[in-house]
Amino acid sequence: MRHLFRAFGVILKTEINVMLQYRGEIVLWSVWGLVNPLVLYAIFKAGAQSNADGKMAGLTVPQIAAYYFMIMIVGHVVAAWDTHDMGFYIRTGRMSGMLLKPMLPLWKSLAGNLAYKICTLVFVGPMWILVVFLIHPQFDCKPWQVALGLVALVMAFALNYCLTYVIALVAFWTTKLDAVGELYFGLSMFIGGRFYPLDALPHWLRIFADCLPFQYMAYFPAELFTGHMTDPALIVRAFVTQAAWIVGALISFRIFWSAAVKHYSAVSG
Amino acid sequence: MPQIQVDHLSKTFKVTEREGGVRAAMRSLIRRKYKSVAAVDRVSFSVEQGEIVGFLGPNGAGKTTTLKMLSGLLHPTSGEARVLGHIPWKREPQYLRRISMLMGQRSQMQWDLPVMDSFYVHGAIYDLPKDQYQSTLDELIELLDIKSILKKQVRTLSLGERMKCEIAVSLLHRPSVLFLDEPTIGVDITMQTRIRKFIGEYNRKHGATIILTSHYMADVTALCRRIIVIDHGHILFDGQLDDLSEKLAPFKVIKIDLDRDISNYDFASLGEVLLREGRKVEIRVPKGSAPAAAERILSDLPIQDLTIEDPPIEHVIAKAFGGGAAGVPGATESTSEPVVEEVAK
Repeated sequence: MRHLFRAFGVILKTEINVMLQYRGEIVLWSVWGLVNPLVLYAIFKAGAQSNADGKMAGLTVPQIAAYYFMIMIVGHVVAAWDTHDMGFYIRTGRMSGMLLKPMLPLWKSLAGNLAYKICTLVFVGPMWILVVFLIHPQFDCKPWQVALGLVALVMAFALNYCLTYVIALVAFWTTKLDAVGELYFGLSMFIGGRFYPLDALPHWLRIFADCLPFQYMAYFPAELFTGHMTDPALIVRAFVTQAAWIVGALISFRIFWSAAVKHYSAVSG
Repeated sequence: MPQIQVDHLSKTFKVTEREGGVRAAMRSLIRRKYKSVAAVDRVSFSVEQGEIVGFLGPNGAGKTTTLKMLSGLLHPTSGEARVLGHIPWKREPQYLRRISMLMGQRSQMQWDLPVMDSFYVHGAIYDLPKDQYQSTLDELIELLDIKSILKKQVRTLSLGERMKCEIAVSLLHRPSVLFLDEPTIGVDITMQTRIRKFIGEYNRKHGATIILTSHYMADVTALCRRIIVIDHGHILFDGQLDDLSEKLAPFKVIKIDLDRDISNYDFASLGEVLLREGRKVEIRVPKGSAPAAAERILSDLPIQDLTIEDPPIEHVIAKAFGGGAAGVPGATESTSEPVVEEVAK
């Protein structure tokens, strides 16, 4: 285990070094992370302002600002892109080199993911502060909600990362899985709370969303940070469900990884 | 006990097949046709510790597929193999720490970073003790003469420089078994010689077992006493390099320099005429009748020089693979096919 941590530390440092070679790209990705939530905030704000009570899905404009601001941060922290990378690694034969090493390729991918988050923080941090001044969010959270929100955020990242990686393993069969990745991303946007708060969903769609893990990757931590989620029973249930999904994703990873490696055809080298 | 033991190892790939053109593409949307391709078919061999074995064959013969199975990258369709006592495709970390596979066309280096960073990461992944890492690295740097490029970004290296670094990174953990797939591909002759020399030294110094595939016969003749010839997934020959021409092409080439022009002599009655240019003549004759043919030439013709040679190994291999006879003087489909059939039997 000590070896794993040491090796992971070295790979993380190396990935940060690689990331720093592409500063321009880091800035552009950072800006892109702001655009989506800000556009959605603008639409939701216009909707609320056109209503007589000045609300949308029960939220005032400053509450909407807080929600999308937190979605912006949560979205950045939980982001994972292995569904895009995996197909590339397999098509170009790079996966063969990774499989020859006595360490799961997952660790390199995780290090790359964290390296991106660490490097972009320098750029997105000041941008987030600027956004606060522009949209004036209203946070109703208490310290305990912030503390639980941080736990939920880490678990949201773990859940999204594991699920993305499991889905990415489809590339061992199809080699090109961009469409699968987009479907996953689309679902996480629509029924994960990144397009709009889940309270704005029609009842039938909400039931559908409750059956899937996406809300635990964005909506749940965002609701804790904004202070909108106060019912302890609901919070406990959400944490238990989030943990269950993580365990399920890890078990799926073990099963699918064995099958994927067995099916690997080592194309392109 | 052999370090590599392979028994009836087979790998079949299921590949899609369709005609070219839009219509066929549309049809394949609804109904796909698949066919099974046996890349490796019941291959058996064993390799002892410290042996260097050359794996030869044309493109698509099954060389790389065999190496990929032995390195644990591919699961076989059937058959068994043990390398260093491990079943390779179980991919146990203890196994992967003791082998290395160098694929000439694939990079293991950190493309965007200086060379040294790749070594450092490799050392961490293989959990190398600091002293061992440093001493092996120093040795590799010296032997491969790469000190001057350690701070260069990998993507700015020339192909030869990169290959030397790829070799260094592959050997940093001192593997007991090395699978080298085209280690000298694309590099110039000087660099090829250097790499060959280094591989030979590594083998001698560490007693490493090496399986090498290469399209450059010079790699094979310089490093391997034993070779395995494979084609269409079958082993055609497994034995000493010296015996190869005996088995695959039992011919000698008689080269003659005539003293004066001779126009009316029937050289074809001696064997297959490979070359006739002015006073130079080359004839391929069956090995057993070479002395008699030479004696007849010496008595019939005014000779300035006469030599009897084994055919070059490249030509032997090319003849064995039939269609791959390009560059072989006088080699034709009809003359080469029986050789393959005979050996395959």
